[in-house]
Amino acid sequence: MSSRQVMINIEGLSKSFGKIQALDNLNLDIKKGELLGIIGPNGAGKTTAIRIACCILQPDQGDIRVDGYSIHHDPLKIKSIIGYLPEEPNLYERFKARDLLKYFAELYGVPTADINPRIDELLELVGMTHRAEDRINTFSKGLRQRMGIARALVHDPDVIIFDEPTMGLDPATSQKIRNFIHQLKGDKTMILCTHYMDEADQLCDRVALLDQGRIRDIGTPDYLKSKIHGDVILQIQVQDPQQSDQDAITALPSVEGLEVVGGKYHISLKSREEISPVIDVLGRRVISVNTKEPTLDDVFISTVED
Amino acid sequence: MIVVFNSFAANLEAEKGLSITPSLTGFATLDVEDQGGLFSKRLNPEILTIRNSTYEPALARLEKGLTNGFFVVPSDSVTLIQNNDSLATVLYLDYRDPKRSVIRQEVNNTNQALSSALTSSYLESIKSQNNTTNTGVNEKTSGESLPLQIVRKVMLAVLLFLPLFLFGNLVIDSIVGEKERKTGEILMAMPFTSADIILGKSVAVVLTMALQVAMWMIILLGAGFPLKNAGIVYLTVVLTALPIVGLTTIIAAYAKNYKEAGIGISFSYIFIVGILIVPLLGYLSRPSPAANISPMTLTMRLFSGETIAPGDILLSFAFILILSLISYGISIKLFSRDDVVFGPRPGIMRLTLELMGLKKRGALK
Repeated sequence: MSSRQVMINIEGLSKSFGKIQALDNLNLDIKKGELLGIIGPNGAGKTTAIRIACCILQPDQGDIRVDGYSIHHDPLKIKSIIGYLPEEPNLYERFKARDLLKYFAELYGVPTADINPRIDELLELVGMTHRAEDRINTFSKGLRQRMGIARALVHDPDVIIFDEPTMGLDPATSQKIRNFIHQLKGDKTMILCTHYMDEADQLCDRVALLDQGRIRDIGTPDYLKSKIHGDVILQIQVQDPQQSDQDAITALPSVEGLEVVGGKYHISLKSREEISPVIDVLGRRVISVNTKEPTLDDVFISTVED
Repeated sequence: MIVVFNSFAANLEAEKGLSITPSLTGFATLDVEDQGGLFSKRLNPEILTIRNSTYEPALARLEKGLTNGFFVVPSDSVTLIQNNDSLATVLYLDYRDPKRSVIRQEVNNTNQALSSALTSSYLESIKSQNNTTNTGVNEKTSGESLPLQIVRKVMLAVLLFLPLFLFGNLVIDSIVGEKERKTGEILMAMPFTSADIILGKSVAVVLTMALQVAMWMIILLGAGFPLKNAGIVYLTVVLTALPIVGLTTIIAAYAKNYKEAGIGISFSYIFIVGILIVPLLGYLSRPSPAANISPMTLTMRLFSGETIAPGDILLSFAFILILSLISYGISIKLFSRDDVVFGPRPGIMRLTLELMGLKKRGALK
């Protein structure tokens, strides 16, 4: 990856809170226009990493360069090119939607002539035009999150960082938020921290698995999924499961793994062509057969368990 | 123990030895104009330091606080007594001076002692001329009594400074409120330094205070309170708001929530009121240039119409400036630290040592 393409470069980043090591020598490059997902268990260091990138926290060691600017030397420049949406949008409650966006636009130094058109554009993007004159304290959590996105975009930043943007939202609202993010893909460099693997799978160009302050794995969602399991997981319920069945199945060359979960065999196979030999081993005792594609959930659980 | 006691006893008995008993030696200075020396020789030197003087210089010294009183005995006192004529003495005292009671008592005692030594006819002639006291002293006073000054000046000064203590909540809400509402995270992600945030919020509060003080002064002037030099009085009060807001921002930057900040403000405001009012009260009892360190003293002197030396004004303004620089410096430093804002917050002692450079930040035990 040439340095010209890299928008965000994280190098040797470490941060501890007292005796807790939140980040441990984190290294990562994010390309211009890329949407990178960061997934990991609670306390993995996701929020710490993005707070450092936003110059809210200071690292103990290491540096982040955003568009060539260092967090140590040019924090104000970095702040001006980043739009940050924290886990909770945390907006000033007494403002009206339009006034809030105007207030932040002025603080970010958006030229006066550009403010109103920009606000109209953003309200339309997040579907809030009809609530522009309503106060924030009358908004539901989903509407606040939409306003949070509009606020983060008010100065038209090159880099956008979302921290758990759909946390606690209903499926329909979550999907709307994902659609907003999807619309921004390509134009902006984005980081998306999330607990929802399907969200990362659906939106991200690459996904980094963060655990205990270190990147455990990184790659496209397809790459990660293929790395953890085979192509397919076969779920078979049988009558009278026996140890001899398990021995016979694991002896098959195409079987990569077998687990017994709730009386069902969960068998990882290299390819769909290998389903038939497995069924043959169990014969007439088979009650039901399901196939399942590996998901990032499986990747996440597998990585965290390791 | 016996040896120690004997040493003390020896010291007490020694002519120039140490004394552990309370002494009034040199308690007050009294300028005396007594050419005949009849009275001045009998004034108690253990209590009063007698200084021979004349009318003009003595009154000038009394005005400047260099002496505690001026006692005038007519130059022909001996002749008057011999001729059986009345003798009128005059004692000048400053009513601001709490020592005046002791001086009055000493002069009265001297008069009584002298009266006893004279013939009854002389004594009667002296007493018949005294309109104000039984002991033959005609007392003249200058200045207002201390209680009256406290009521008039101190209360007015307190009224003027009162608005400065009404806006602590505004400072707390603008800084601690950001932490409690968690809007601080967004604020800190914006292209501003910690200094921008702290000073921006402080300026807003100081401007609000300035407006309140202006309204307050208009009301006081309208109510007939004597406020001379209103412009510079206003400036002094408003400038005093700077370090008060600065100290409040230190508490706000460190406090985790409103409750902590409220407790911190209660204690710090006691300290601030002490700094303001103690030098003022000290100045009323005994004028001293050092008392001008308190802007409240300066303000009182300004609205009383006193002539103030530039050095006194400079002292007060320098104090305001230094305290402001220190307080804003500390609060900006605190607000720049992510552990103070987001936690885990270091203890006050550790933080103090780190700010003083005596301990390295983040060093584990």
